[in-house]
Amino acid sequence: MKTYEVFLKKAGKDEFRHAGSLAAPDDEMAEMYGRESYARRGEGSEMWLVERAHLIVGDPDELLVNSTKPHRHNDGSAIASRRKRLRADES
Amino acid sequence: MTTHAPDHTDAPDQTEFPDQSAPDFSPAALDYLLTLADDEHMVGARHTAWIGLGPFLEEDLAFCSIAQDELGHAIALYTLITGDERTIDDLALRRPGADYRSSWLAEWPCDTWATALVRHWLYDRAENLRWRNVASSTITGLAALVPGIEREEAFHLRHAEQFLSRVCVEAWPEIEPALSELLAVAGSLWTPPIHEPDALAEGVAARSFAELGTEWRQLIEADLRRWGVGPERFTLPAGLALPGVDSPQNSRNERSPHFAALLEDLNAVASIDPTAVW
Repeated sequence: MKTYEVFLKKAGKDEFRHAGSLAAPDDEMAEMYGRESYARRGEGSEMWLVERAHLIVGDPDELLVNSTKPHRHNDGSAIASRRKRLRADES
Repeated sequence: MTTHAPDHTDAPDQTEFPDQSAPDFSPAALDYLLTLADDEHMVGARHTAWIGLGPFLEEDLAFCSIAQDELGHAIALYTLITGDERTIDDLALRRPGADYRSSWLAEWPCDTWATALVRHWLYDRAENLRWRNVASSTITGLAALVPGIEREEAFHLRHAEQFLSRVCVEAWPEIEPALSELLAVAGSLWTPPIHEPDALAEGVAARSFAELGTEWRQLIEADLRRWGVGPERFTLPAGLALPGVDSPQNSRNERSPHFAALLEDLNAVASIDPTAVW
């Protein structure tokens, strides 16, 4: 048995979303089980399946955020405080 | 089996519903509908015995989904007969055994995965032919069910084909005894509905069960050959589904030895409190 990841997309502008995973002996049966496991109540109108072994998996270490780089995080507070200061100067 | 809309305070009292009296079917048409309905009901009920016991989770879901489809077909057919889905329980669950019209194959207990799977294939092969056969029925309510049901049936057959084609040779030591056991009762699928000639004359269905049974037999044989089990390895019983063969199951009035226990099971909850409403 192989493990597959299942993605579903509803009609309209929504993107594909991960629905779950399943076990199946091959691609053809994976498609059938994908429908029966995740889409039998119309949860999606399009389905992608990919064998887990074919996924390119990112290294979690590479994804760690460096906490010493606050300048990467623009939450708008710097601009907001600057505008507030300017408004105060004008009045 | 009856389903009810959620209770709303403003829901009309039951007596305010227009009395949808049962459509006026001829005895032949009624028997024909019951033949289809009871088989769907019994097979669906038998399939549900596998809930939670399938060989692996995904297959469990798929097989139970098929069971639910078959029960849905039974509900649709019983509703066609009574004219009102709220009144089908008596018909579905509370007839004397001799008034049921199900086949022995549909009633058969399939306690191993191999027998459950093989019965699913044998029955759905038959069902496919049966629904096509009523696609232009003069009973318009029956013909109207066909497009939706055929979509589901196509999936059922794909499922049987995909599973059995992959395991048939490898699991033959398990499949052969299952197949032999079931083929001994599978001819009952094609025991004609009572008054079948009258029903055909009325246009309820296009072709006789004898004709469909012959075609079914060829399809079963072709499936086995495609799955690697040719005639050199397995031959169908000589009389299987051929018209005129004398068989203990050759009457739509005769229930299999397993029917009484099945019906009791189906009524187990309802009989605890016969006045309960759900």
